[in-house]
Amino acid sequence: MIKFSNVSLVYPTSTQTILEGLTFSIVEGEMVLVIGSTGTGKSSLLRLINGLVPHHTGGILAGDVTVDGISTQLVRPGELAHLIGIVGQNPSSGFVTDTVEEELVFSMESLNVAPDVMRKRVEEILDLLALAPLRNRAISTLSGGEQQRLAIGSALVMHPKILVLDEPTSALDPIAAEEVLSIIHRLVHDLSLTVVIAEHRLERVIGFADRIIHIAGDGQAQIDLPENILKNSVIAPPIVHLSRALKLDQLGLSVRDVRRMTEDVRRNGKENPQVLKDPTPTAILIKGASISYGSHLALKNVDALVMEGEIVALMGRNGAGKSSLLQSIVGVKELDRGEISIFAHPPMSLKGAVRRATVGYIPQEPSDLLYAQSVAQECAQADKDNGIASGSTYALLQGLVPSVSPATHPRDLSEGQRLALALAVVLSAQPRALILDEPTRGLDYQSKSLLIEILKGFAAQPGRAVVIATHDVELVAELADRVIFLSEGEIVADGPTIDILLASPAFAPQVAKVMAPRRWLTVNDVMRALDQETDSR
Amino acid sequence: MKYLTNDIYRFSGRSRIALAIVSATVFAGFTWPFYVQSQSSAHFAQYFFWAAVPASIFLLIAQLSDSGLDAKSVALLGTLAALLAALRPLGAGAVGLEPMWFLLILAARVFGSAFGFLLGVLGMLASALLTGGFGPWLAYQLFAAGLVGLFAGSFPKRFKGRAEILLLVLIAILASLIFGLLMDLQFWPWALGGDTQLSYLPGAPILENLNRFITFHFLSSMAWDIPRAVLTSTLIVITAPAVLSALRRTKTKAAFLTPVEFSARLK
Repeated sequence: MIKFSNVSLVYPTSTQTILEGLTFSIVEGEMVLVIGSTGTGKSSLLRLINGLVPHHTGGILAGDVTVDGISTQLVRPGELAHLIGIVGQNPSSGFVTDTVEEELVFSMESLNVAPDVMRKRVEEILDLLALAPLRNRAISTLSGGEQQRLAIGSALVMHPKILVLDEPTSALDPIAAEEVLSIIHRLVHDLSLTVVIAEHRLERVIGFADRIIHIAGDGQAQIDLPENILKNSVIAPPIVHLSRALKLDQLGLSVRDVRRMTEDVRRNGKENPQVLKDPTPTAILIKGASISYGSHLALKNVDALVMEGEIVALMGRNGAGKSSLLQSIVGVKELDRGEISIFAHPPMSLKGAVRRATVGYIPQEPSDLLYAQSVAQECAQADKDNGIASGSTYALLQGLVPSVSPATHPRDLSEGQRLALALAVVLSAQPRALILDEPTRGLDYQSKSLLIEILKGFAAQPGRAVVIATHDVELVAELADRVIFLSEGEIVADGPTIDILLASPAFAPQVAKVMAPRRWLTVNDVMRALDQETDSR
Repeated sequence: MKYLTNDIYRFSGRSRIALAIVSATVFAGFTWPFYVQSQSSAHFAQYFFWAAVPASIFLLIAQLSDSGLDAKSVALLGTLAALLAALRPLGAGAVGLEPMWFLLILAARVFGSAFGFLLGVLGMLASALLTGGFGPWLAYQLFAAGLVGLFAGSFPKRFKGRAEILLLVLIAILASLIFGLLMDLQFWPWALGGDTQLSYLPGAPILENLNRFITFHFLSSMAWDIPRAVLTSTLIVITAPAVLSALRRTKTKAAFLTPVEFSARLK
């Protein structure tokens, strides 16, 4: 169905070869996963399939890409539209109309499909992706998972033979991600759709992939069965790290397989002692907080405490009120009722330098904090605002990600680099509390472990606190001391990470699923229980 | 890296000829009051140019859009034209305060004169659709706005930083005055009834009419062109650094005119 013969790609402004001598073919009805660190060319590879690269980006393409027998050299990307559906990283930037139904129809209208056929297909897609209750809703009111389903729906409505997805689950909570992936999986099996998917969170997709294309940084890439690729790859889900650390003879890719192989580990491991922290003063106090948008209650009477030295994770479905709570802690959103104090100040009263030194906030989209025209200007501004020696913010950034060039425009950075820049700007003010909203969107494993290190280091200093809203259970397992679980604006659970994560199978990390009923969350926990040091990363 | 400073769209040879012919028609359309001989031929000239100017402008646009505009440029042209259309009514149109010119000038500066011409014409057309400003004057406005874009985009690219802002302010002032002059020419024959001292006299000697026109233009200029020039220059000084860099980033990101090459293997 898709055939790459000896494909190499060079972009016009760089001398670096993105891909070199890539040859593979993907047959009909196959689901192929593309993995690689940020910036290695995953998106380029996906866009080569429908000819957006190099037709829209410029560049030199050597070799040949053919899709269903048509070479992308010979046709413009538009002429492959009926054959290939493509869903980008951020679904909302791909929408062209206002309501769900119009969005579904739009691409068919462009392809001049007959009205009665359109009507049938819209119904079919609404049913297939469970979008029927949403058909008249405005797109801007949909949750992240619903938007992602709609984006997939509007690609599928043209009956493409190939579906290309770029990080389809990065904005979704575990359950919505599961839902989207199982729909795709069903399409592969029922309709023999060919799917190529790029994703950082391997733990979510690994069970569905038939083969993996692994792109190394230097333009080389290999394609093979998941077992063979993951045997040696640095990029691997926690379950593979577990198999490696336990030195199992076989690599298990599903919880079921690894469970069968690790029976004696579960039997022999000893219980890890619970580390009890000394009680510390309260950093953030939330009392009876309520917020409503029109008739919709976003927060209902929320009571919570965050202690100094603690890292607290805020979890819950898309739209559960996590962002609203964070914004009111930071003081950018006013409460309707109740009160919040942060280091004994009401957050709305903090201004200017005092505010920056008390609380640092990184919103869901870090570029909302970045206004300057280049990284250097952004850092210089932060130095000036905080009255610190010039160059300190840039030095901080260099410590986080060494490879950022100071002349780059902040919006041209990769997700991970942009987050690091926002983090450097916020940290340069030396805030006492750090509030992060969904920071691991689009981050690869490497950047994620770097983030964990930074946040742990931050919280370890006296008198600091971190609150982080996230869907990423693996991150929570590694990082958080305590989890607050929100649902429909109410706190449904609040307790130590291990208790909360183990209580619900949907939110349990992979290692915990393998090791249940033992209370181990991470590879490190397991190895500690076996009295072994780890070298899993 | 040469393509980064190039215009994203250039007139082809045939388009240049078409542009020249249309310019001549429109020029005649602007200046007819000076050389008609009598009252009756004035009527004829007026109706002739009402029809001829829009027809030739639409033919020109058809010719231009036929050659070498790719999907990305069309998308950019559409977006910017929509922005212009939305900006124009913001100033309520009174005394020439239309905050669209600064964006047209900046966009023409970045994307080149040919693109600027198309943008001026389309932006003006779209804003006329929004505000209901249709009438015999529309075709003249379209062409004049196109000329502003053409003019603003035709200066050398080597000026940067403060020098560039200064140049842009100069362009803004000149463009405001030129636009005002052209609009007055088009407007003057009907503006003032038949018998004031500044009114158009069909059939009078050129010098007499020119004299009357210049006095008229001077007065209207004080009221319209100077506020327009001041507003546009101020907006340019305030917004140019940010808007220019945003437009230039768009240009780099969208990779206009970037060569696409296919080869059997990498050299």
